[in-house]
This record gives sequence, structure tokens and C-alpha cells, in this order.
Amino acid sequence: MIDSEQHPYVEWIAREARRPVVTDPVARERLMAAIRAEPAPTTRVPFWRRVVEPRALLLSPATMGLLAAGLVGIGVVAGGLAMNRDGRSVDQPRVGVAPQLPVSDTVVRFVLVAPQAETVSLVGDFNGWDSTRTPMARAASNGVWTVTLPLSVGRHVYSFLVDGKWSVDPNAPLAPDDGFGHANSVRIVRKGSAL
Amino acid sequence: MSDDAADVQRVLAGDVDAYAALVDRYYDRCARFAIRMLGNRDDAEDALQATFLRAYRALNRYQERDRFSAWLYRILVNQCRSIAARRAHRERVFVREEALLLNAPDRAVTWSGEDEEFVQRVLNELDPLLREAFLLKYIEEMSYEEMSALTGVGVSALKMRVKRACDRLRERWERIKND
Repeated sequence: MIDSEQHPYVEWIAREARRPVVTDPVARERLMAAIRAEPAPTTRVPFWRRVVEPRALLLSPATMGLLAAGLVGIGVVAGGLAMNRDGRSVDQPRVGVAPQLPVSDTVVRFVLVAPQAETVSLVGDFNGWDSTRTPMARAASNGVWTVTLPLSVGRHVYSFLVDGKWSVDPNAPLAPDDGFGHANSVRIVRKGSAL
Repeated sequence: MSDDAADVQRVLAGDVDAYAALVDRYYDRCARFAIRMLGNRDDAEDALQATFLRAYRALNRYQERDRFSAWLYRILVNQCRSIAARRAHRERVFVREEALLLNAPDRAVTWSGEDEEFVQRVLNELDPLLREAFLLKYIEEMSYEEMSALTGVGVSALKMRVKRACDRLRERWERIKND
């Protein structure tokens, strides 16, 4: 225990101090009562997993409304900041800068060559996959079907319905399987005209 | 899996009574350190309550590769330090009074025999950092490596503290002998 060269007095103090102490059983009961009043500890999920793993969030309609309003607010503030990056105040007229287009005003043209087709329509996430909402028009002579429509900026998944049959866009990348047995195409829409 | 690790798993699975087993296993040993370190039972009980409560709350952060006792002691040492710091003024007064007693001509006050109170008084004369190192080394009988892991203080610094604590006690003996 104690180094042999230690003084006997030091050894004696250490030996006495090592004697067990008599504790109050009531104090231990108080401690366990306090422990039982605590919320139970649970197995901890590592921080990285909490960040990385997808989780479902259950939001009440009111919370969703607040969230949406907050996002719109952030968009408005961010938009305002973007307008001010050139150093002008908001009130100053912006000379030579085209007005910002609403995000849904990016115009996109879809084209499909289908000389034999009787009817062609465009279906996608932007029209609720409704075959009646976006019919495509055929040029008189060459069998080219087109439609032009405003789309919001971002990624859109779509397909053509050729005489009632699903058909991917041969000039666009494919989207992952939609889980319903259909292959779809993808169009990334950026700000401005995407014609 | 050790008894401690098994009990921790049971607590984390919702069995609060398993924590009582851990408390029973370590309470007296922790109490000895806290009493010796803080010098009185009231402060020691506060330190024990805080230690076991904090350990319970943080149990999901306990890593099984660590020994539970070492993890618990780390919390205990920190709690004792906090309580000692909060009551530093009172302790300073206490130590000053003890110093007066030590220098007093009445030998009966400084040498009252082999009782716990006397040993406690002697330990209280040590600077808290020296006392902590002395207790961990010679009362808890830890290695310097264990002490270092527990306190965050380097081994050489801890050796120095233990040596100084022993020197202080030896000096005290010399004073008593020569008086």
C-alpha cells in the first residue's frame, strides 16, 4: 500500500482513513427515492445516426401551416437580401435588370417524335399525372408532338401517354422506378426559360 | 459482461431497481472518499446524492469499455470539487481554526487518539488538491494511471501531489513530537 520508506505516522493516517465509514441507510433511501422520481434513462442513439437517419415527422395541421408560413417568410427575406447584393437600397429603381420571374413562370417545352400516334399527352408530377390536362399538339407534317408550359424550378418526373400507352422521353434521363411498374423521365428546370 | 455492465443494461431497459444494486455496491466506498475529502457528513451526503443522480441521468452515455467504478468515481471527484469550491469560504475558516488549534498549547486537541474525527481533522489540514491525490492513492488504492484518467491530471503532477501530502503529514508529526 504505502511505500516502505513512508513515515509510520503517514502509514497510520492512511490506515485509519481506509477504515470503512458507517453510512446512514435513510440517506440511501432518500437517494433511491430521488432516482425513482427521475425520468428513466434510455439507450442513447449516436449523434451521427440521429442526424443522418431519415425520420418521419408527425405535424399537426397548425404546425404545418406555421412551418409553411415560416418558409415563405425565409424566402421573402432571402429574396430581399438577393435584391440588395448590388448595394442599392430597395427603393432605388433597378436599371437594366429584368424583373424576377415567379418560379412557376419558367417555360419548358416538351417534344416527342411519334409520327404514327393519334393522341399524345404529357403527364407528370406538375399536373397530377392527369392525362387530360396537358395534351400535346402535333405539327402538321413531321410527326413531332410538342407542348409548352410553365413549370416551377426543380426536378420534375414525367412521361408521355401515346395512344394511351406510357412512353418515356427518349431524350431525357430516366427516373428511378416509380414502384408502379412504369419508367418515367426526369427534367431539371432551372430559373429562366428552359425552352 | 461484468455485474456492473449487466446492471447498467437492465437500468437502460427500464429496470430502475437495478440501479439500487449499483448504489449498494458503491455507496459506502464513495461515501468514504466523500467524507474524507469534504471533511463532514452533510457535504459528503450532498456529493453522494449529486453523484448517483448525475450518473443515473447520464447512464446512456456510459461506455461499457470503461469500468463503471472509474466512471462513477470521475463524477464523484468532480462533485466533491464543486461542493468544496462552493463552500470554500466556510472551509477556509475551518482550516484557519484548525491551524489555531494545531498551534495551541493544549496537546489534547491535536492528539485525541485513533478516532475518525482526529484522522479527518488531519486530512482537512491538507490542501484540497493534495488531499484528493493522497486519498485516491492511499485510501482508494488506485494506480497513478487510474488517478490520471480520473482527474485529468498528469501522472508526474499526481506523484508530486502525493509526495507533498506525505511531506505535510510528516512535518505535522515532527511538530507534534517536538512540542
